[in-house]
Amino acid sequence: MKNVKTMLKAPVALAATCALALGLTACGGTATSEGSAATGSAPAATSASMTMNEGKIVFATSPDYPPFENLEDGEYVGLDMDLGRAIAEELGLECEYTNIDFDGIVPAIVAGGQADAGLSGISVTPEREEEVDFSTPYYIDNQAVAVMSDNTELTEENAAEALNSEAVTIAVQSGSTGADFAGENFPNAEIVTFPNFTDAFAAVQAGQADAVCGNLAVVEQMLSGAYADQHTILTSATGEEYAIAVSKDNPELLEAINDAIATLDENGTLETIVAENMG
Amino acid sequence: MRTPITSQSTGRAHACPAAWARTARVAFALMFTCLFGSLLALAAPAAPAQAMEIVKCTGRPNSDKDQTTIQGGTQSRITFEATVDAGEGVESLTILVPEGTTYETDDLAVTLLTGDDFMTRVDPSYTLESDERSLTLTFEPALTEMGRLNIIIYGVYFPVAGGEMQVAASYTLAGDADNTGHAIADIPVISVEGISGPEALSQWLEEQAWVQAWNENRFLHLFFDPTILVTSFPVVLTGFFMSLGVVAVAFPLAIPLGLLLALMRLSKIAVVRGIATTYVNLVRGTPLFLQIYVAFFGLPLAGIDIPNFPLGVTVMCMNSGAYMCEIYRAGILSISKGQTEAARSLGMTSLQTTLYVVLPQMFRLVIPNLTSEFIVLYKDTSLLAAVGVMELVMYARTIVASTGSITPYIVAAVFYLIITLPLSKVTRHLEDRVHGGRRRRRAVADAAEKGEVAHA
Repeated sequence: MKNVKTMLKAPVALAATCALALGLTACGGTATSEGSAATGSAPAATSASMTMNEGKIVFATSPDYPPFENLEDGEYVGLDMDLGRAIAEELGLECEYTNIDFDGIVPAIVAGGQADAGLSGISVTPEREEEVDFSTPYYIDNQAVAVMSDNTELTEENAAEALNSEAVTIAVQSGSTGADFAGENFPNAEIVTFPNFTDAFAAVQAGQADAVCGNLAVVEQMLSGAYADQHTILTSATGEEYAIAVSKDNPELLEAINDAIATLDENGTLETIVAENMG
Repeated sequence: MRTPITSQSTGRAHACPAAWARTARVAFALMFTCLFGSLLALAAPAAPAQAMEIVKCTGRPNSDKDQTTIQGGTQSRITFEATVDAGEGVESLTILVPEGTTYETDDLAVTLLTGDDFMTRVDPSYTLESDERSLTLTFEPALTEMGRLNIIIYGVYFPVAGGEMQVAASYTLAGDADNTGHAIADIPVISVEGISGPEALSQWLEEQAWVQAWNENRFLHLFFDPTILVTSFPVVLTGFFMSLGVVAVAFPLAIPLGLLLALMRLSKIAVVRGIATTYVNLVRGTPLFLQIYVAFFGLPLAGIDIPNFPLGVTVMCMNSGAYMCEIYRAGILSISKGQTEAARSLGMTSLQTTLYVVLPQMFRLVIPNLTSEFIVLYKDTSLLAAVGVMELVMYARTIVASTGSITPYIVAAVFYLIITLPLSKVTRHLEDRVHGGRRRRRAVADAAEKGEVAHA
């Protein structure tokens, strides 16, 4: 095994250079992979600090998912954001957020250099567990399906059956638990994915889709705001777990975050944060 | 807060199929004997009228192919939900997983959902007994609260061959005089597909030593993971056809649109010129991304209801038309005024001059630029991903989001290069032909000379 590994090193550096030269920059991962290729033999774990920068923890987040993460007047607000700040305080570190598209967060954590941990309503799935380590879950997610209020074909009474029909188009956010839920429970429906959850609601508003499926708290938040003429027709307690993603190379940080979550859970801070944001 | 789940689960049940079959047969035989026995006895009190009813029994889709396919031999999850009536007193529940299916019990989630909307979670206390085929939950105390019992079994691997998977379940009540159990009827089957070629290949690759060594390098793992490469290739291919479809329709339509706009911009009538100029400036002056958003969410609100694909094609065509207009205009203006004057002096009308003298020469000049415009248009179809058109990038993005690997983007890049690289070469060749007439003649002469030398 060792031999193969050494043999691979030279072509790796070459490949990294080539990719850089070609400008195959997908999601900003390339810049950091250069760093990891160069320092591959000296893992970050050996340094005194368990975060990239001494005294500071950087969370990657995609602030398009209220009430979990959102930008308000340039401020990061929401359940996850409050949690991140509480964890940082618990660890005695300064808290910083960096804005990365949702589907780029896990790759960014794997590549390293962009952020220490991913905190963006990331649910624990077997595929993601192959890439990163997850902290103790801090939130259990429920799903909801919403349609336009004047929709007479899809109602609260018939939702469970009527949604599972070829005639129905369901808008979801790509890679979200809502997408999984729709795929598992309404396999006959046409599922349209949007990179941004807000756009899924806009699609229902515009008639591009019949229903939107996603996290209950987020759906309720959206419906109480910009999309007041839609209503929820189905809710389901699914039990998807939200957790913080940490690089597999950084067990110290994972342990520290887990300890912090345990403390916050014990002293009631976690409950307060959830209550404040889900109000 | 629920108990934390362990990040690494290893307790997957392994056993040979023959053993399952035997266990199953014995279990069934026992069940039937007991049932028959109790019927004969009949002295036992009648079973309660109410019964646990199935709410749902689903498997988690686990294929990169689409969001609804469940395939065998790949990790999945079974969600089982059944009603519990008030005061019923469910003492135990036995779930029989489909034959040939393995599962883990480490992360087993047992929740009683209560309340009017079944959204309140209660964690019942239970003890678990399990073997290869079945798991039995014994509730202590018995469940009496009205609600739905939700059980999520993790680490499920359906048989590789797939098929209609039937989960069976039975329960016992506190008031039961015997332990026969009541079967839960009408449990929906889970349709599992046989593992697809690429997925099987991916799993085979995952076990190879060189792949494991390859993936130990973080860069290669993130960008060129062979296991994800093979599964994302066919998926992204579907999107490739969608992208090609969009340009294949939009580009030919943009050619006449651009020409019309170019002629309008060169018109002597100020209003016509003004309209074309405004349109071209608006389209060229704003990002295509915004135009797509406005068209997808704005037009339907204005009562114009067009499906995704034609709408995408329309936006791309209208955008490209504006750019082509400028290409044509430059082409027309570059044709020497003498040509027009000569045509007019021969008695040709203005229309004839344009049709027979100006445009044919112009087209020859702009073909290289049009090819570049085609490349730009093809690459720009990626922007349609933002509004739910399932094209190249959207398919890649879906896999990136679920796997956390960048590899699908690399696959997508390959699909762009397949078209753009040969086209760039064609463009260069065409440019040579347009601008290098003299050069070409000289090259031919050179070749002829060389030929002579060779002959000599």
